[in-house]
Amino acid sequence: MGLYDETVEVPRRTMVLFFVVDTSGSMNGSKIGTVNSAIEDIIPEIADISDSNADAQIKIAALQFSTGAKWLDSQPVSAENFVWNYLDASGVTDLGEACLQLNEKLSRTAFMNDATGSFAPAIFLMSDGEPTDNYRYGLDKLKQNNWFRKAIKVAIAIGEDANKNVLAEFAGNSEAVIDVTSPKELRKWIQFVTVRASEIGSKSSNAGSNSDSGSNEIETKQDIMIQEIQSQKDDIEWKEENPFEDDDSLQW
Amino acid sequence: MREFSKGQKIKVKSGGELEVIEKLGEGGQGIVYRVSYNGKEYALKWYFVNKLKDHKRFYMNIENNIRKGAPTSAFLWPVEITEYFEGSFGYLMRLRPKEYEDFSKFLRAKVHFSGINAVINAALQITTGFRVLHNKGFSYQDLNDGNFFVNADTGDVLICDNDNVAEYGKAFGIAGKCRYMAPEVVTGKKKPDIHTDRFSLAVVLYMLIFVNHPLEGERTLKSPCLTEELERKFYGIEPVFVFDKNNPQNRPVENLHRNEIKLWSLYPDFVKEAFQEAFSRESMIGNNIEHRVTEKKWQEIFIKLRDCLAECPSCNNETFLNLSQPESKCICCGKVITNPFVLKVKKNEIALMPSKKIYACHVIYDSEDYNQAMGEVVLSRSVPAVAGLKNNSGRAWTAVASNGVSKSYESGQVIKLMKGLKIRFGNDNDGEIL
Repeated sequence: MGLYDETVEVPRRTMVLFFVVDTSGSMNGSKIGTVNSAIEDIIPEIADISDSNADAQIKIAALQFSTGAKWLDSQPVSAENFVWNYLDASGVTDLGEACLQLNEKLSRTAFMNDATGSFAPAIFLMSDGEPTDNYRYGLDKLKQNNWFRKAIKVAIAIGEDANKNVLAEFAGNSEAVIDVTSPKELRKWIQFVTVRASEIGSKSSNAGSNSDSGSNEIETKQDIMIQEIQSQKDDIEWKEENPFEDDDSLQW
Repeated sequence: MREFSKGQKIKVKSGGELEVIEKLGEGGQGIVYRVSYNGKEYALKWYFVNKLKDHKRFYMNIENNIRKGAPTSAFLWPVEITEYFEGSFGYLMRLRPKEYEDFSKFLRAKVHFSGINAVINAALQITTGFRVLHNKGFSYQDLNDGNFFVNADTGDVLICDNDNVAEYGKAFGIAGKCRYMAPEVVTGKKKPDIHTDRFSLAVVLYMLIFVNHPLEGERTLKSPCLTEELERKFYGIEPVFVFDKNNPQNRPVENLHRNEIKLWSLYPDFVKEAFQEAFSRESMIGNNIEHRVTEKKWQEIFIKLRDCLAECPSCNNETFLNLSQPESKCICCGKVITNPFVLKVKKNEIALMPSKKIYACHVIYDSEDYNQAMGEVVLSRSVPAVAGLKNNSGRAWTAVASNGVSKSYESGQVIKLMKGLKIRFGNDNDGEIL
């Protein structure tokens, strides 16, 4: 028997990826259908990223909100074991309630309880409408949560009716909000954000050593995520596609 | 940028075209494909050109590295570069044989080294790779768990991602991981260079041998959320080694940092002292950051470690012999082992257990080659209790007994081991059996 036969894994931190999905009635049809299939298809890739990453493992938690808000699992589930259960859409848009629930779980006594510690989470919000509840109260509370403040936050505004100002407030920056107008775009962005937020969030950062500004400001993981979103928006290939090509088949 | 499909042809700068066979993987900087070129298969790394800060300079740097050639065969070095195609470019390198595994898999305990000998070999190969690289005036800049591959059976190493390698004084501003970066790079005070490479090398060597991170212990674990600010603190501003001689605040945590707790207790002191020096406050953030433990010193340490490695006669597992004492205790079964004959040559002391090899770095007066075996300890077929040193060096050695009688042994012949025997290996390089 060799001395190295029994080595155990070097302790990894945990990075929780949160999907916060609007399942109000207006999401019904191809919107929620696209969200479901895009996330379902990208999960194996997230499992691979987690599996090959010696810095941190990735766990996933999903919160749906419509009339009220509901967690899909009682604890974050490791990416390898996570199964996406298809969401149905009906009801109103209680974003404020979603914020309160998120705030409650972003705590060392709730979801962020790993013995080996965590990296800041990545929180990914998708919505197509206007909050119907008193979102201000919930959002203000959430914005004081340190886990939330340090998190990578991205929001997708689905269609024209999404309230982009509220989403920008959630994500902390209008550049972290992505407008999509077709199912194809929606799918691409969901998968892009899921993968890149997972990769950036679950790796030891460069702690700002790469900033050219010479200042002492740390380039955060959120900054890097926003740069990636911007450069993806600029990517010619993504632009060349006709965002309206699916219009005929759409009803939203 | 689009992904290439099978059959895509791209012009190679030195002439001809490569043809894409399949995608192998994708990273932050680009995509790696398996391709064929001039009838041979290679790996092609194709860049996301928008991820490169100055792609023209990057292109020229790779061209320069191709011209200079690989430092050692352990490097998956760029061998050809493509012409610009659809706004981007890539370079060709050898394909990685499948028996080489990502180092991160060792850290995840998905792959285990076959034993100490393989670990030492891996440590020697990485160290030598960096030594030659540095002697050629290059620095690597971005060493981390993602850019080398190791054969778990033999410890043979392949170092990849050599596109960031740059000549002395040049730096590309690599988006590295601060777990592996020198503190002065983490804090942004310095760009990567040879001295910062040496720090990253020490981190990787520690993780290879002790299978935990040298700066992650009780203190770092106290923080539930490792933010970028805290990473900067733990790896940049105030790093503390888990086995720091003077500062106990970041010790390994029982049941969590299990590998290093166990392995640290088993390795000889001279290895541990080298790491304590490499991760001392002085060497990390003090006055010694430009005088860190050198590759040459690590090489000497690992050769010394290999020289005292032996198989326990009781349990047949690998153990270290303490050659300064007449006997040693097996690190595995705990039984007492009477030390064998020891060959003292140059600065080295080699435990002459059966099948132990001695190398060019021992017998050739000016050699540092630890790879080429020059002799081996064998047992007599007629009297198995008698051990001898077989000369496989290709030249004659002279043995001189303590009474002054001498005899020459050609390559292929065996010198019977006796206490006090001197062996003249040539060019005034004399060994002695203790």
